[in-house]
Amino acid sequence: MKASTRREFLRTSGSGLAVLAAGCAPTVSDFAQKTGRRVVVIGGGWGGATAAKYVRLADPSIEVVLLEPNKEFVSCPFSNLVLSGVRSIESITFGYGRLRDHGVRVLHQMATAIEPEARRVRVGDGYLPYDRLIVSPGVEFQWEQVEGLAAAQDRVLHAWKAGPQTVELAKQLQSMADGGVFVLTIPPAAYRCPPGPYERTCQVAWYLKNNKPKSKLIVLDANPNLVSKAALFRAAWASYPNIEYRASNKVVKVDPGAREVTTEVGDKVKYDVLNLIPPQRAGTIAVTADLVGADKRWCEVNHLTYESVKHKNIHVIGDSTIGLPVPKSGNIANAMGKICAVAVVSLLNDKPVPPMAPGNTCYSWVSDREAIAVVNSYKLEGGKVVQIEQKLTPGQSEMWAQNAVGWANGIWQDMLG
Amino acid sequence: MPLFMSLLLVLAIASTAAAGPLDAPGAPQALVCSACHGFAGQSQSNTMPIIAGIAPAYFKKAIQDYAAGKRSSPEMEPYAKMVLQFGVDDVAAYFAAQARTPSPIKVDPAAAERGRAAAVQCTLCHGPSGKGDPSKGVPDLTGQPPGYLRNQMLLFKADRRSPGDEQLKAVKALMRTISDEQIADLAAYWSSVR
Repeated sequence: MKASTRREFLRTSGSGLAVLAAGCAPTVSDFAQKTGRRVVVIGGGWGGATAAKYVRLADPSIEVVLLEPNKEFVSCPFSNLVLSGVRSIESITFGYGRLRDHGVRVLHQMATAIEPEARRVRVGDGYLPYDRLIVSPGVEFQWEQVEGLAAAQDRVLHAWKAGPQTVELAKQLQSMADGGVFVLTIPPAAYRCPPGPYERTCQVAWYLKNNKPKSKLIVLDANPNLVSKAALFRAAWASYPNIEYRASNKVVKVDPGAREVTTEVGDKVKYDVLNLIPPQRAGTIAVTADLVGADKRWCEVNHLTYESVKHKNIHVIGDSTIGLPVPKSGNIANAMGKICAVAVVSLLNDKPVPPMAPGNTCYSWVSDREAIAVVNSYKLEGGKVVQIEQKLTPGQSEMWAQNAVGWANGIWQDMLG
Repeated sequence: MPLFMSLLLVLAIASTAAAGPLDAPGAPQALVCSACHGFAGQSQSNTMPIIAGIAPAYFKKAIQDYAAGKRSSPEMEPYAKMVLQFGVDDVAAYFAAQARTPSPIKVDPAAAERGRAAAVQCTLCHGPSGKGDPSKGVPDLTGQPPGYLRNQMLLFKADRRSPGDEQLKAVKALMRTISDEQIADLAAYWSSVR
């Protein structure tokens, strides 16, 4: 299309057609009226981006609107390598452009409320009607669980949602004096990415060993032992005498002025750099929309369709879910996104939902070049997801690290490519 | 045709579309594979093989060997058991029916050129084109990711892939005569063959 013709087209066509043209960012008002069948997806992470893409792949006649406030996706898997300087944040940052090529209408806005009876999502002053809604909001932090944290949340870093905090924590680590103390605190399970804190332990310890040999890493774990890949991580930690791991040390208070955290039993630990990973619950929209269970933290779903047990036509996937014997991982969220997409398309077409189960492939980097892995597969039994098998790598190696890179490139493409 | 007419036509065709790409038997169950092996088995990564267009018998043997622990892989063993659970024949038929396009991973042209000169030793079994012979369980090497090809040759050389498998005796004997450097060159060459 010539430039002049294209301008002419944009000027003369209605807003509904104008948003079809590349380069025009749609707004909520473009979606106020629903003409055909529509699926709205809340959250453009591992679960939501995958679900949005696969609904379009499974049935291109269904309109898909994805609500995601961030303009770019930053991968949590591999983000611990940014702390050690092994990878750049740019290498784990991706745009949503290819989803648009699949026909997904991406709206960079936050869903503020869900009205299950009216089947619509509130976004600012406008509404998005839907036939089925997929909610994939990830996790939110329970700031109030640690005294002093709510007031200090801009200074005390979690770096547990990859992005600016990841870069900032890497900077703090780099500027810490040799001989300084880095404190990492791990919340009680369940939290996002069970092995993530232990991989982070390896990456920080590897960095300190090579750059600040007089420094120490103190890990305060609220859990009685490592939550995931315990034997493999402990074997890897043999190379890092700078790690001081303290199990059953739940942090309940932080004092950024005194640079000190306090554990449940009253032990005070001084730090030069603090990485406090707060306790977690389902993303805020899942709580305000009454999708969480009696624990007010996580969402229970049907194991075949991922439809909420609390509200019809609303499906919940990813880290926000509970009740399946699966970890809160990106790979699981990606698998749930595909299964839920097929279920939603089947339901909208009055077809039986095919039985499918998720799988989990989870690599952890134990140095700059070696990795370990745990793999889980699942099946459906009596309408419930049950584990078939869990397998661990026999040790750490460069080959698993190569496979980790292959996995990451493959799954990023599966979500966003 | 005016643009809005074209759009209406597209919408009309889309809304009356019959079976979608995920309606084939085995297609929903194969989706779990796409995290590593790419959509429809079209791997985009260097170490995961392309399984689009794979011969069903070869696929089935691989799944059975992984599940039984004969072909050792902590990643594939749980997934192989899952595929057996959901029906290996349907999943095999689904991947066999997918058109295969070569790996997007670029290889070093100099390595591929060196590999070309050495590749004749592979052609006795895999054929002059490297496309293999499905009736004998010999796979197509062409266009596979170079990292995957290299790793498999190294596993053969160290007898770490399916030890004791009679079918693999010849390839393992051959690999023991080839240096690791030449293995990398062969991987680059066969990956680049179209």
